[in-house]
Amino acid sequence: MLKKIAVLLLLIFLTSSLAGCWNRKEITDMAIVLGTGVDWTAEGRLRLTVQIAEPGAFAGEEAAGRGEEATNWVVSAEGKTIEEAARNLAPKVPRNIFWDHCMILVIGEEMARKGTNLVTNFFLRSREPREIMWVLVAKGEAKDFLETYSDLEKTSAQAANLLTRMRTGYSVQLWELAEMLAGKGVQPVVTRVEVKEAGVTPGPGQEMKPPVHKQVEISGVGVFKEEKLIGWLDDYETRALLWLKGEPMEGVITVPDPGEPDKEVSITIRRGSTKVVPEYDGKNLRFAVKVKMEGDMVEQQSRENLAKPEMIKVLEKEMAEEIKKRAFITLEKAQKEYGVDIFGFGDAFHRKYKKAWRELKNRWDTEFAEAEVIIEAEAYVREIGLLSKRAGTPEE
Amino acid sequence: MEKFRKPTRTGVPGGIFARDYNDSLKNLVLSQDLEANLQQIKAILDKCSDVIYREFVFAQNEEIRLALIYIEGLADPGQISDQIIRALSLEVPMAVPGQEITKARALEFIKQRGLCIHQLKETYKLQDIIHAILSGDTVLLVDGHAVALVNGARGWEARPLSDSETEPTVRGPRESFAETLRVNTALIRRKIKSPNLKIEALRLGEVSDTDVALVYIEGIVNEKLVTEVKSRLEKINIDAILESGYIEELIEDNPWSLFPTVNHTGKPDRLAAMLLEGRVAILVDGTPVALTVPNLFVEYLQAPEDYYQRFLFASAVRLIRFASMIISLMLPSLYIAVLSFHHELLPTPLLLGMAARREVVPFPVFFEVLITEIAFEVLREAGNHLPRPIGQGISIGAALVLGVVAVQAGFIAASTVIVVVFAGIASLVFANSAGMAFRLLRFALMVLSGTLGLVGMISGAAFIAIHMCTLRSFGVPYLSPLAPIASTDLADVVSRAPWWAMLSRPRLMTGQNQQRQGRGLKPTSPEKTSKGRR
Repeated sequence: MLKKIAVLLLLIFLTSSLAGCWNRKEITDMAIVLGTGVDWTAEGRLRLTVQIAEPGAFAGEEAAGRGEEATNWVVSAEGKTIEEAARNLAPKVPRNIFWDHCMILVIGEEMARKGTNLVTNFFLRSREPREIMWVLVAKGEAKDFLETYSDLEKTSAQAANLLTRMRTGYSVQLWELAEMLAGKGVQPVVTRVEVKEAGVTPGPGQEMKPPVHKQVEISGVGVFKEEKLIGWLDDYETRALLWLKGEPMEGVITVPDPGEPDKEVSITIRRGSTKVVPEYDGKNLRFAVKVKMEGDMVEQQSRENLAKPEMIKVLEKEMAEEIKKRAFITLEKAQKEYGVDIFGFGDAFHRKYKKAWRELKNRWDTEFAEAEVIIEAEAYVREIGLLSKRAGTPEE
Repeated sequence: MEKFRKPTRTGVPGGIFARDYNDSLKNLVLSQDLEANLQQIKAILDKCSDVIYREFVFAQNEEIRLALIYIEGLADPGQISDQIIRALSLEVPMAVPGQEITKARALEFIKQRGLCIHQLKETYKLQDIIHAILSGDTVLLVDGHAVALVNGARGWEARPLSDSETEPTVRGPRESFAETLRVNTALIRRKIKSPNLKIEALRLGEVSDTDVALVYIEGIVNEKLVTEVKSRLEKINIDAILESGYIEELIEDNPWSLFPTVNHTGKPDRLAAMLLEGRVAILVDGTPVALTVPNLFVEYLQAPEDYYQRFLFASAVRLIRFASMIISLMLPSLYIAVLSFHHELLPTPLLLGMAARREVVPFPVFFEVLITEIAFEVLREAGNHLPRPIGQGISIGAALVLGVVAVQAGFIAASTVIVVVFAGIASLVFANSAGMAFRLLRFALMVLSGTLGLVGMISGAAFIAIHMCTLRSFGVPYLSPLAPIASTDLADVVSRAPWWAMLSRPRLMTGQNQQRQGRGLKPTSPEKTSKGRR
């Protein structure tokens, strides 16, 4: 018995020492990448930029004693492929580059026009980067984007991460982009980010910073044909894109006041759904899109008492009209200007007409551009907030 | 004291010195001559300065000589002088005025009317007399009779009953066992006033001759279990039993396992509950702790309080105990594994925060956790042995100063201190002896996770689970009712079922009489019942 136990213990301890911690990585030996960006240089090479966290800056109260410290370090290297560029980064970065916590992948405008597949392949194939990182297309260079910093967050990568996560615009994760690229039924759209001058924080300690500095901002989406960037949609159009895609329905619709048409009423969207019904008779392609939306009235400029059923009816009608109008603008742009199906109508068609899809899928975008789309909108106003009348309205 | 039966030994190699001595006494008996008897006893108790021989004469008939033999400090001097010496040497004429008591009638008279002692026994064997004297009884020899009267006038300085220090409870009885066996059996008897509560007496230890009692409830206990416990106890052939731990080690099923398969408790109420579930208890004279068998692992997660408090709260507390068991075993190794191999498991802000604090730490995580753990164990062990008033001050000072300064100096990351101290405190949540097993196993898991990461940690945990599955305590699987699963008993393991729902005793333990209570005890509101009747 004793011998058996001794043998077992020896076995465990000797084999575990054989392993020799071969894969062990101390945190202090790692360069944690928070965000990465890829640009296409004028010489036709890829430039990989990484934003590496400066750990010292993240230690709660202790950091206060150390004074102002940079929160991150942005460094770039060039190469023919991403991997080559990453190798070229190694001589500059004194630690192991650690991709697991990379939150955003920014693709520069030139790079996006050249083709996203040159970028995504590396990040999808290698083990470390996560497929849930947000993909962004920068208006301009990705490097500039990573070099900005944020006032509320520690780094611009974190700021961009939070901005996309709040889904104020259309947000795409790496796996979603890969999925959109793989299928024929929908063309990719990717969040567009811009570097813009943002607000100033007054107060002590701010003298060191430039009075107005650059910060990141989300502004619409980039539209792709296959893997190449072909154009943009602005915020206003992106909202309608979300509605047509049936993505989480959010946003505000502002319509003229039913009583005083020169004043406005704002309605936030609470929930909604979109139904796309394709109709195909072998020749003519038609889509019936039904958008159903519920919202709460949150602001009113006029003195009109809107807390009446007939007024609400009017509001609902105006709201439906507005939805329809905005959807049409985006649809027109996609069909006429870009000629790509960014709404996923192809997928709906595929689900209904499996045989016809096989024929059409290779020229789907042209089919889509010529298809007739009927948009119907149904809108309901559910709540009018805590006020029934505007304050100061005299009793009738 | 006849009811203490000497255990019969089988197949033991001889050589313990006391055995020959006991054998030499075996056949000796008293003679009718008082002088000769005294000589004999004095020869045996030679050089025992605490033995007192008191010779005096019978009040009515001075020819009747008497002798008292007892041990100073063990026998009660007040009782001896008042109820024995005074009664026999002064008060007899008042009791029987005018009567003449002959030498031949003396023994009968003393037994019936002379002694005012509650417990009286007769013996003629020298061996029993010596044992009685050494146990604290007072032996009265009467001239002309070859019989000794053993007076149970015991009385020694003993620690009074006190609050349980090792198993404190907020609600429930405070009393705990003391060192004296009879006090302890009385405490149990006070809880269970049933003739079925059996207290069998044994004597173990060749030199120490310690009284041991086997306690169980007939009709609930599995008879085979009693036989098994008895046979294991009877095999014990050791010079002395100074604490119940001696017996525990000599009768347990898996001497090499880290997990104890014999439980112990110092609380009479807990012991009574265990007896009612069909367990057997072993009480040892001189030990304020009773052993209970069979022992299930889940016992360590159950506290006596659970059964006194309202069941919903008790169930919630039990979940916390489960969680702390896992935390105390795995948290440090999980920390090592994640920080040295699996950084991707952490949320980004947490990783950055940890990275920030680790930036100045010069050691690898494994080494850092190891030294912190060792420091914690040293503090804990020191706290156990320091005198109480100093102990508290030292442990607080040491913990605070060491921890804070080590973190400030940058030798240890704050997160490591948090993890180690949290795991250490979690291990205090559940009862002592299993906690010790987990304390040691924690180090093994730390080595595994420091070398193989999560793979090592999980395989270590699996090994522990497998090992626990193989354990048995007196025939009962150690992990039951979890494995093998006994669904009816689970109600009292993962939660604490309300009393009105705990209908049966643990299935694997009790041999007979499984039902604990009647059905339909759940209280209902009186209106409902009256409506139902209408």
